[in-house]
Amino acid sequence: MIEVDGLSKRFGKTQAVAGLSFRVEPGTITGFLGPNGAGKSTTLRSVLGLVHPDAGSATVLGVPYRELDRPLHRVGAVLEASEVHPGRSGRNHLRVQAAAAGLPASRAAEVLALVELSAAAKRRVKGYSLGMRQRLGLATALLGDPEVLVLDEPANGLDPAGIRWLRDFLRSLAAEGRTVLVSSHVLSEVAQTADRVVIIHRGKLIQQATVAEVIAGSQGATRVRTPDARLRDLLAARGAVVTLLEGGALAVDLPPEQVGELAAANSIVLHELTVEQATLEEVFLELTGGETTE
Amino acid sequence: MIALVRAELLKIRTTRSWWAYLIAIVLLVGIAVAGDTGSNADARGELDFQVGLIEAAGFVSALLALILGITIVTTEFRHGTVTPTFLASPKRERVLTSKAIAGVLTALAFGVLALLVVLAVATPWLAIVDADIHAGDAEIGERALQALGSTVLWVLIGLAIGSVVHSQVAALVGTLVWIFLGETLLWGLFSLIDIDGAIAYLPFRALDGADGTGGEDVLDYWPAVAVSLGWIALVGAAGVWRTRRRDIT
Repeated sequence: MIEVDGLSKRFGKTQAVAGLSFRVEPGTITGFLGPNGAGKSTTLRSVLGLVHPDAGSATVLGVPYRELDRPLHRVGAVLEASEVHPGRSGRNHLRVQAAAAGLPASRAAEVLALVELSAAAKRRVKGYSLGMRQRLGLATALLGDPEVLVLDEPANGLDPAGIRWLRDFLRSLAAEGRTVLVSSHVLSEVAQTADRVVIIHRGKLIQQATVAEVIAGSQGATRVRTPDARLRDLLAARGAVVTLLEGGALAVDLPPEQVGELAAANSIVLHELTVEQATLEEVFLELTGGETTE
Repeated sequence: MIALVRAELLKIRTTRSWWAYLIAIVLLVGIAVAGDTGSNADARGELDFQVGLIEAAGFVSALLALILGITIVTTEFRHGTVTPTFLASPKRERVLTSKAIAGVLTALAFGVLALLVVLAVATPWLAIVDADIHAGDAEIGERALQALGSTVLWVLIGLAIGSVVHSQVAALVGTLVWIFLGETLLWGLFSLIDIDGAIAYLPFRALDGADGTGGEDVLDYWPAVAVSLGWIALVGAAGVWRTRRRDIT
């Protein structure tokens, strides 16, 4: 559906993307994750034929974007919310794009209704809030009723209500069988919506898997609570990393079986022994070294 | 391609600058014609004077066509609308071709409007003062056609410049500096090294000759048109090359 193969792109001294490969499967929502500056926008713009890669290739629906016949009917894209002439009304912006795609002008009104922007249709975009611009971007992407949607940080600048709206909207688009690739540097925006994630950092692939696989593959912590001070030393003696938590509990990087057996062998009473599943957010920070370039 | 041309025409007509262009043409041509007609009581009944009015209209529409041509391309880069434009048509040379067609059609509309303003201001005025009106004269018709042709050439050179220099301010300022400073300096240089004949081949000297008004150091009409088209082709080819290679980030 979308296939990136060995993609590299350098801007001056910055290696934005370095040998990146991943696939987006048809009919899924794929979260494209990485800290700011990880190379997400460059990758997406290469997929859309806007940026010329130094090496490697990117295809959509089996061909480079440039070779797509009637591209707006196949692929819809939302890149930066600011890419609209400020002096043009939202409706006229859509009419221009509809005309370029060979679509009737009436299609503008339809997509405006779809993103709940009809009331502002005749206002100049200059007066739109960031949230309204994001919606206008989505409306633009949906003009040609495309089977593939590529969205770059669509939640940027949205308030919580807007993010919730966006999440529901993306779900409804995926439910219609569309393939969605949505980038974000904030994991929570994507975690509840995406089926799969592609995580990149410094232009390189870190992981591509289902959300469940990413969480399962990460090292969860075992939480243990005991009145016996010996356990901490015994665990440390076995080479485990032990952290004292609030309320006197310990977090241990060993499976609960081993912690329990160690306690039993030394006749230590346990008050609590639970597994703490890592959240996707923690995994994400772990994989990307917890750094952002912001 | 027709869809893209329609989109480009819609772009031109859906911002306020469209109205600014039309108002500028009406005001500039109207004032020039009224001023000339009012202050030339002796000559205004003569054919030469009335041909001059047509030339003034052609000058205004050509200048605005130059600005239009530069702006049609550079406004896309200024506001980032080049992204949706190239998403709709990833074959960028087709976008530039559509812009050229839409630009030429719009420039012709500018030219016709400018000529209509001459007609609307001068004809009743001359009729009232009982002066001869040469509107049907062949020279008036020929000069009007040349004014339209010149307007088309100026929009095309503007488009070509805008495709090479994507920054709006740099393209507009650079063009003005080139016309008023660059070509003047070259003029001086060419005279100094005794190749005065080359002056007429400079881009905007050639375009100057291609409006049919003649003058010193310009080529005859058809050679001027040919040299102008050559410059447009040269700069335009550079513009296509540059625009195709550009990373849209």
